[in-house]
Order: sequence, then C-alpha cells, then structure tokens
Amino acid sequence: MADVRNGLEARLAELSGEIAFPTTPPLVALVRARLAQPEHGFGLRRPLSRSLALVLVATLLLAGIAAAFGIGLGGLRLVFGPASFSPAPSLVVGPGLGAPTTLDAARGDVTFALRVPQLPGLGEPDLVYLADPPAGGAVTFLYGERAGFPAEPASGIGLIVTQFRADIGPDVFEKLINSGVSVVSATVHGGPAWWVAGGDHFFFYRDAQGVEVDSTLRLASATLIWEEGGVTHRVEGAPSLADAVRVAESLE
Amino acid sequence: MAEVEGRPLVENEWIEAARRGDASAFEELVRRYQEIAYRTAYLVVGDADEARDAAQDGFLRAHAALGRFRAGAEFRPWLLRIVANAARNRRRSASRRAGLALRAFRDAASGDAAPSPEVLLLADERRRELLAVINGLQFDDRLVIALRWFLELNEEEMAAVMNCPRGTVKSRLSRAMLRLRAGLGEDGSDG
Repeated sequence: MADVRNGLEARLAELSGEIAFPTTPPLVALVRARLAQPEHGFGLRRPLSRSLALVLVATLLLAGIAAAFGIGLGGLRLVFGPASFSPAPSLVVGPGLGAPTTLDAARGDVTFALRVPQLPGLGEPDLVYLADPPAGGAVTFLYGERAGFPAEPASGIGLIVTQFRADIGPDVFEKLINSGVSVVSATVHGGPAWWVAGGDHFFFYRDAQGVEVDSTLRLASATLIWEEGGVTHRVEGAPSLADAVRVAESLE
Repeated sequence: MAEVEGRPLVENEWIEAARRGDASAFEELVRRYQEIAYRTAYLVVGDADEARDAAQDGFLRAHAALGRFRAGAEFRPWLLRIVANAARNRRRSASRRAGLALRAFRDAASGDAAPSPEVLLLADERRRELLAVINGLQFDDRLVIALRWFLELNEEEMAAVMNCPRGTVKSRLSRAMLRLRAGLGEDGSDG
C-alpha cells in the first residue's frame, strides 16, 4: 500500500505550512534580560570555562542538617542523616543487582530506552545486571579498569552506570548521605544533576515493604545522579565530576 | 559585532565566540534558533506561556553548558535536546496538551489560477480532518509526527528531542503513522 503511505505523507507535508503555531516570543531580549540578572551567577562577558566553572554553586553543608531533609529525584531520594546500618567495607556486587544478562537482552527487557556510554575507550560494559522489580527494570553496567577510570582495588570495578525508570514510585532507591559529604548541583545536557562526593554515602534499594535490601549496598565512590527523559541515571566511580559528566553525556 | 575581517561568522565561529563570552555571538545563536526552539518546546509542553519559559530555560542552560559542547558537533540537535528537557520538566507540572490549529488565513496562491471554491472547501475539510485525528493521538504519537512533518526535524534532531536512540525514531514514527492511518480509516498494511 505504498500509494496510501505516500498519499498520507503528501497530505502531512501539505499540512505543515498550515499549522498555526503561537507567535514566537522575543527570546533574544528575554534571554538577554535573564542572563543580565545578578542572581544568574554569570554574565555573557565573563569567559566560559570548559566545565566545572559552569557548575552551579550549590554545595550543601550537611553537618547539623536534620535527618528528615531530602532532595527528590525521579525514583531516587537523597536522604541526609546518619546510617542506621553498617555499610559494607568496599564495593560489593551482590544478588540485589539482579540477574546477570546481556546488553541486547536487557534492551528488550526494560520499559525505557536503555542507553550505553559511547565514551571512546570505554567499550561495552563487562557485566550487565537486570533487576526487576522495580517496575520497568533497573539495569546496571559494570566496567573493569579503563583508561582514566582506575578500578577500585577490592572489587576491580572502574565504573558503574545504573538506569531505571524515574516513575517507579517514591523512595525505591535511596542514597543515604552522612555528614562530610558534599552534594554539588551540576548539569547533564543542560539539565539538573547532582554530584555526591566525599565522606560516606550509600546507595541501596528499598523494597516494596520499605526494607533496605543490603545485598545491593555498596560503599559508593563519588556519584553523579540525574534524571533525563523519564529515566534516572547514576554514574559511579568516575575520578572527577568532569569525567562523570563526559560519561553521562556520551549515553546513546 | 562579531566578524572576521569583514565577513560574517559561520555557526562554529559563533559558538566559539560565545564560549569566549561574546554576548552578541550567543544572541546570534538565540536569534537563529529561537523559532525552532520555541515550537519544539510548545509541542512538548502544550502551552504557549510555558513554551516561552521553557525555551528561555533551554537557552540559559545551553549558555551554561557551552563549555562542554563538543567542537564540530551539530549545534541544533544539542540545543533542541536541552530545550526539550526544559520543556519536559515544565510539562510534568503543567500537564497541558497542545492543540494544533490551522492558520485562519492562508496566503493567496500566486501565479497559478485560483482553484474553485469547491476545491478549496474540500481541501480545507481534508486538512481539518487530518489535523483532528492528529490532535486525538496519544502524546508520543502526535509529538513524533509533528517533529517530523511540521517542524521538519531530521532523525538526529528528533532523537534528541524525544531523548531516545536514533534507531528508535523510525520505529516510533512508523507506529504513529499506522495509528494515524487507522484514525483516518485507511488501510494500515504496507502491502
């Protein structure tokens, strides 16, 4: 039925010029005004550095902050306060990550567009795990040592990338943050992200009954977390925020 | 004004100049892409005012992220991804739905002989029917059709706006077209 398809496409092409979009507002002037506002933090005349200088300054001083304080991110909650349990002493890969699988199989098993870092030299992940629940699946890529991503000695893991749907429900994953940890606002593809570094912070899965599943507990190294396109991502193990952002922005 | 020995700057030079803090260079980028950015935001967020704010947010985020823009990469899909993300964030709270409409007045055809009133009426009815079916589609179907046919984005740009791999764009568009045909009562088989 190629004629039908061509006919419809021709109708759509014809319709294109007839669509009445709202009049485009004067964005040049609006953006200029917004950039000129002092609270914006940087002006057009100020030279732009490559990355870190453009990170929004939002380091949160956590000492003394009540345990109830948290920052919400799709499917993930940052909880500030003392740990109520003893963390594992090193990176632990446990059954809570889900079942080992392959990249191709994982793509077909999750209900979101699974993306893979395309950073040169990273290659494909060495191990792929799929957990289900949570709804829609959670996929974790594990990489051994790579150039620029030295392995954590105890586990041999250089980089961890996790993705899961942002709408799986509140508090399914939690990142527990103790004092001494800095949480810095960053950007991934221009969207908001958080860089959690220093001190002790833990990432774990909380099951439907609210129980911490300690088999997934890992003593986290610095972690970048963000939500993009309805998917929550975390990149753990990158030596610096700039490296983590490079990994994040290479996802395709 | 940003010029090199009297010649206008090409896009990469605008970007480089903007990265160095040249306000006029960044404004040129905004001027060049404001319409496509705004219309993209409008399709995602479904409200003119929210689209205006989302487009602003997108340009501000792009400005902040210029330092990480990969030299030599295509700027438009990079920008549209940022704008679409900003629009999606607003869509979550706004929960609105853009209703695409036809222009009230079309430009009179020039050169060719004017079609008869009957032909014009029939053409108008067919357009309105098609648009009504498009407006009745699910958000994702309508978005992919509008991006392809009304904004005329390429595959890379569509993937950026929809935040999906390029390979997914074709399949999503194909499924949306099938549902559009079904809505029009046409045979959806490929034959």
